[in-house]
Amino acid sequence: MRSIADVVGASGLSGYAIVALILFFLAFLAVLAAVLSPARSSYYERAGRLPLDDLTPQTPREP
Amino acid sequence: MNARLDSFSYDDAIVRKFLFATIIFGLVGMLVGLIIAVQLAYPAANFGPIFAFGRLRPLHTNAVVFAFAGNAWFCGAYYATQRLLKTRMWSDKLSNFHFWGWQAIIVAAAITLPLGYTQAKEYAELEWPIDVAILIVWVAFAVNYFVTLTKRRERHIYVAIWFFIASIITVAVLHIFNNLAIPVGPLKSYSIYAGVQDAFMQWWYGHNAVAFFLTTPFLGLMYYFLPKAADRPVFSYKLSILHFWSLVFLYIWAGPHHLHYTALPDWASTLGMVFSVMLIAPSWGGMINGLLTLRGAWHKVVEEPVLKFFVLAVTAYGMSTFEGPVLSIKTVNGLAHYTDWIIAHVHTGALGWNGFLTFGMIYWLAPRLFQAPLFSKKLAETHFWVSTFGILLYVASIYSAGITQGLMWRAFDETGRLQFPDFIETTMRLMPMYWVRVAGGTLYLAGTVIFIYNIVMTWKRRPAAYDVPVVTAAPLDLSTPEPHAPAGTGVYARFVGLGWHRRWEGMPLFFSVMVLVAVAVASLFEIIPTFLIKSNVPTIASVKPYTPLELAGRDLYIREGCFNCHSQMIRPFRFETERYGDYSKPGESVYDHPFLWGSRRIGPDLAREGGKYPALWHVRHMENPRSISPKSIMPSYPFLLTNRTDFDGIQKRVDAMAMLGVPYGDAINHANQMARDQAALVAADIEKNGGPAGLADKEITALVAYLERLGTDIRQPAATAAAPAATAAATTPAPLKAGGN
Ligand code: HEC
Repeated sequence: MRSIADVVGASGLSGYAIVALILFFLAFLAVLAAVLSPARSSYYERAGRLPLDDLTPQTPREP
Repeated sequence: MNARLDSFSYDDAIVRKFLFATIIFGLVGMLVGLIIAVQLAYPAANFGPIFAFGRLRPLHTNAVVFAFAGNAWFCGAYYATQRLLKTRMWSDKLSNFHFWGWQAIIVAAAITLPLGYTQAKEYAELEWPIDVAILIVWVAFAVNYFVTLTKRRERHIYVAIWFFIASIITVAVLHIFNNLAIPVGPLKSYSIYAGVQDAFMQWWYGHNAVAFFLTTPFLGLMYYFLPKAADRPVFSYKLSILHFWSLVFLYIWAGPHHLHYTALPDWASTLGMVFSVMLIAPSWGGMINGLLTLRGAWHKVVEEPVLKFFVLAVTAYGMSTFEGPVLSIKTVNGLAHYTDWIIAHVHTGALGWNGFLTFGMIYWLAPRLFQAPLFSKKLAETHFWVSTFGILLYVASIYSAGITQGLMWRAFDETGRLQFPDFIETTMRLMPMYWVRVAGGTLYLAGTVIFIYNIVMTWKRRPAAYDVPVVTAAPLDLSTPEPHAPAGTGVYARFVGLGWHRRWEGMPLFFSVMVLVAVAVASLFEIIPTFLIKSNVPTIASVKPYTPLELAGRDLYIREGCFNCHSQMIRPFRFETERYGDYSKPGESVYDHPFLWGSRRIGPDLAREGGKYPALWHVRHMENPRSISPKSIMPSYPFLLTNRTDFDGIQKRVDAMAMLGVPYGDAINHANQMARDQAALVAADIEKNGGPAGLADKEITALVAYLERLGTDIRQPAATAAAPAATAAATTPAPLKAGGN
């Protein structure tokens, strides 16, 4: 354990936390762009009504 | 295409069971909360070992978090999930196993915590056999849940369920990693982590337990029950998806904000701060989304108590998610940490957000589950106002208590000395506010009693047999493409068409794995460097393991829950070093399994208690703190002067520590004898100074030996302390001789 710690310790890993932070932020921006695009509005409109009917499935069955 | 129709019914019996568990344990948890609030204002209300603050406080937190909020989450989730997926839970047996298993765990907690069995980690106090039971029950819940998802008859998985899935997965990960410990007895274990690492794991857990037990599941409930009660869809479904992903992406990173200015590496706490501040955006997005769902329906809020509860709950969510990031800013945290401010923050969330959302949900559910009109809308209305007023009193008084005490701790007079050097002065100033809190808590509890009466009376009006409606729906054929699939080609069109996202949504397992990856990656990036980078925890040559007797004393400190009132972490501020001594170094807690830094200073920090007073002082103080400090609110521990030390059990504990890598040297072979030898010395010193005789085999001696050791190693020159630490007789007299420093 100690030797692994030495090796990893010498490699200056803590900077990678910042890299991960940036990657996460980019991934988040991607979701943001996708969700906000107007293309899916009607789809979300329907999805949002899901809780209101307990008995009939909301997604149409027959293509 | 599919001519077959399934007939099925929803399992509401399980929902009713969880509903009753919620109200029963809500009452118990709040009652214990009220008792400990009284104990802080009136210390005579501590009774014996069992009903003392240090043991009851974890009972209160565990009861309200895991028993009240937990059962509320399950109650709502079983109701909503079946209806959103248009299917019954996959296995009634597993649902019931989840229910009875969870209640058994709660009962086990209610018995073991007052008896002093604790891991000393906040919200993870339960000892290892109970932790194993939690894991088993959780796996049963998860299996039942995920199989139910695959049996669904609705293609899209509504956002509330995403929140439930993420919560189920993340809670499992948190629970497993924070509770890794090696058992040393049927109800005793030592954390495999020590010092800084243990603190880091604990607050990674503690913070995310708040996130994934008290926030995301309740957001799931909000996104289902608020539209239900308002009878209109959520204001913006898009916003709710954003809300979900940003919480999953950001929340995990924020944990280190609990450890600002401690021995935690600076980069880690800065990261925690940045992510915490970023959390404001999605949280407020969610709050606004909730409130705007009611647009055009505000007249209903006036008439409908259910909506009133929801509006206050969502507002409280907004307030506490604004305050959280503010508290994570280092300078604000420097003032607020260790004070009642944090307690006020938590109660805005717990009483307002979790409590009121639960009340609203149950008022809405009761008539439907019991198939009878609510007993009294007027009483529900009364409940709302009584409890709201209770929250206001609680929060206002405890905020002012926190800020008052924080400011008093750091006040210097014109000569540059601490203005309030006597800690108890800063406590006495809070007494009026502590009484107002008792009043606020009483009102909130009174509201809860009204609530329970109302629900029970509604239940009494139930029909002789519940009507179980049969639902018919076609099974879902996931192999056929979804109708209205997005048009358009090209990378961008396909990307924004969200085909990928919907495909994930169609594959709950894959979706869950993605959540797990996000959580795991964030956690690893946070945690690994702390564990592996040596420079993060510089070792200090003179810091040695506790002697066997001190280790036994430390276990008593844990058993009595002293860490609920005392921190052991002096921050690098002048007002702290003036009061307590040199600030705490990471290297000083490398043998602390578990760490005992604490999170609240109801009493003074003890990190450098060693050598501050003679042993006899501690004996008298522990026997009755008010004999020394007349206004003290610390409980009395006279039983420590009569309980015998379990010398025979010490060897096993030392061995366990040695197994975790603590360099115990000689003590591995004769811990028992070493402990007896040291105890004889301590007892002789007490007697010589005029104290009671015959304490050598009593618990008080072990505890005093531990207190006298605290924070002294760093003052020893490395050379003299280089002798094997465990040669008790050689190393301990130093602090014992010191009557002050
Ligand atoms: C309800 C909160 C509370 C609990 C629980 C508690 N204490 Fe205290 N403690 C205090 C307060 C307040 C003071 C300051 C007044 C005084 O000296 O009694 C204090 C003071 C002390 C002091 C003196 C510190 C100094 O430097 O003056 C010691 C030592 C101490 N406590 C040890 C313990 C131990 C050991 C336990 C567990 C067995 C414990 N306390 C449990 C609140 C608490």
